[in-house]
Amino acid sequence: MKQRRGGLASSEQGFALLMVGPGLLALILTTTFPLAYLIWSSFQNINLAMPFLNGFAGMENYVSMMSDGQFWHSLKLTAIYTLSSVFLQLAIGLGLALLVMQIPKGQWLFRIAAILPIVLAPVVVGLFWRTLMLAPEFGIVDFIVRALGFGSINWLGSPVPALVSVIIIHTWQWTPFAFLVLLASLASLPPDVFEAARIDRANAFQRFIYITLPLIRPAIVIVVIMRSMIALSAFAAIFATTGGGPGTASEILNLYAYKTSFVELNFGYGSALAVSLLIITMGVSGILFYLRTARRS
Amino acid sequence: MTNVDGNRKKPTGVTRRTALKTAASGLALLAAPATVMRSAHAAGKHMDLDSLRAAKIDWRQAEGSKITIGVIPAGYFKNLEAVLSDFAELTGVEARLEMTPPGQIRQKAVLDLSTGTGTWASHSADPMYYPLYVANNWVDPLDGYLGNSKLTDNDWFQYEDILAGWRGVTSVDGKPYGIPYDGEATIQVYRKDVFDKLGLKPAETFEQFTSNAGAAHDPDNRLWGAALRGFKGAGQNMYIYPSIFRAFGGEWFDGSGKMTVNSPEAVAALEWYINLLNNYAPKGVENWNWPDIADAFGQGTVASYIDAHGSAAVIANPEKSKVVGKIGFARWPKGPSGKRVTSIWNWSFPINSALSDKDKAATWLFIQWAASRETQIATSHAFPGAYKRTGANRTSVWAMDDYRAVLGSAGDNFISATTTSFAEDTDVEWRPRLPQWPAVGDTMATAIQASLVGQATVSDALNEAQRKIEGILKG
Repeated sequence: MKQRRGGLASSEQGFALLMVGPGLLALILTTTFPLAYLIWSSFQNINLAMPFLNGFAGMENYVSMMSDGQFWHSLKLTAIYTLSSVFLQLAIGLGLALLVMQIPKGQWLFRIAAILPIVLAPVVVGLFWRTLMLAPEFGIVDFIVRALGFGSINWLGSPVPALVSVIIIHTWQWTPFAFLVLLASLASLPPDVFEAARIDRANAFQRFIYITLPLIRPAIVIVVIMRSMIALSAFAAIFATTGGGPGTASEILNLYAYKTSFVELNFGYGSALAVSLLIITMGVSGILFYLRTARRS
Repeated sequence: MTNVDGNRKKPTGVTRRTALKTAASGLALLAAPATVMRSAHAAGKHMDLDSLRAAKIDWRQAEGSKITIGVIPAGYFKNLEAVLSDFAELTGVEARLEMTPPGQIRQKAVLDLSTGTGTWASHSADPMYYPLYVANNWVDPLDGYLGNSKLTDNDWFQYEDILAGWRGVTSVDGKPYGIPYDGEATIQVYRKDVFDKLGLKPAETFEQFTSNAGAAHDPDNRLWGAALRGFKGAGQNMYIYPSIFRAFGGEWFDGSGKMTVNSPEAVAALEWYINLLNNYAPKGVENWNWPDIADAFGQGTVASYIDAHGSAAVIANPEKSKVVGKIGFARWPKGPSGKRVTSIWNWSFPINSALSDKDKAATWLFIQWAASRETQIATSHAFPGAYKRTGANRTSVWAMDDYRAVLGSAGDNFISATTTSFAEDTDVEWRPRLPQWPAVGDTMATAIQASLVGQATVSDALNEAQRKIEGILKG
């Protein structure tokens, strides 16, 4: 009996492998292989504009990155972009979720409205903001700002407003995600804890700090991890609104890597930039995951 | 009737059968002239194929080949696509045009060429990319095709009839690598009504261009003085700045062949550009490409600009423009060096060297057909659709009355400004021709825009560009 079962399990295992095989192979071919190729090419000189220099470069690409001012500039922009947009998404998303929780009826309406920006393609979002919202003289945002007496601001045409604009656009699109996750988390909190707190005369602020926040922390951490990973590798919306400009004022690391590879045709150095972005993204998410599990235990 | 091909055998067959059946009734006499007419006027659907068959080559030598050509979705290629069935009828080659947006066509072409897949037998190529293509042997030199009497009858094709500047910029070290199909010159465009009212004349010098802009500038009444491309890109702001740089007497390479972009002339040219745009252009001009400029001019909010003559298609179109009939054209003003420098832009067709010999022959036949006088005419003034091309590739076409009649409606002095620019103001060294152009062009574009928006001073931006370019050229 025992033996037969083992035989069955092993034959099923073979069958299972056979079933998973094609999918696994496709996955390896479409994700693992390109990744390995990217890492390989980051150690090569591959420059289509100077094919005669192509060959093994060793750490050369990484070494020259250290003295590349544009790399550090784009890294700094990536940090500003990620930190500020994730913070804003979390703060606004949580605020909205707490507000909507107070509404007894019709919450579904807010949930549906919140989904709309998320389902738009980032390129569409970028073009929409560029032409309809932020265009000087004609855009809605500029119209409002002028009506408030601040004068016309050239949102996408001046260095600092351009960076602020792409952060606002990213926040606008992805705050609903934080809002939905936190709203679901808030809705599932046990009412008896709050009742007990109220009997103990905890005020609203104390209830929020000592009960709500600790209870929804797992949701907050998940939001921070997911949003950081996406913000670090943001591309399409910035590409569509400013193209990294004006000058290089909004050229985050991802855009710089793209430009180096596909505009300047220096694939070796571009790969090294992309690998460094990969390492940073993995490092940041790793730390966040570690914090999450460490706190829990 | 011996050279009648498949498509026309059918009707004649039917006619003959009809003729036999009705011979006794005498209707044959009526049917016969119809048969004769069909074969004598060897018309394709869109052009007279006999004038193409006058070429002493075998148009059907690559029969059965299938080729794909990447082009941008512009009117001049859509017109070509519309008459493509005649090419199939003439050669038996099945050519397909794959429309790819201008922002992506260079990258797609480079990826295709560098991987050697031969997906695109040819594509509408940016002339600035030929040094890169040639450095990698991605495209065939075309002198061998032009000189091969089996492939080309140059008495008929007349390569030399193609505009000289365009031939120059699609050649590397004297050898042609692409055949120009459609192109443009940059010219001055101004509001004639505004200029007449203020007593202004189209600018002869750069100072005058600025002072004209200043005189017409009236933002309170929604009229800005001038606009030029401000958007960052090798094909955007780095399309206009080189003309200014050259007109200021700038040289891309010094005597020893070292590339220099921060010379005193470069600084003066960039300062002129920034001064003009900061003082007299609408806000947001740093993100404007030519369609934005043409739209604003068409809405009557810009008094003058310098850009491609083909933008006239937008501003002279009554459906899109409010200033039809109020437009004047002129050549570029003279720079401080005394030179006028127009762009030397064209879309040309190279041959992908990864193709088989038969497909190369098929591609060459396509190129020869598309660049021929007959096809240029059939896609320009003779085209039945609403869009008529304005960038024909041949001197002889520009001399034709019918062509000029269609173009002349754009506005005052349009044809003369454009043809004089073609003839006298082109400069093959308009932009730096080297394999690293994509990186160099982008670096310059970033520097120009950064100084326009005040992210860096003119000299800082150009010094930084110089440093970066030296790194790029060193590898």
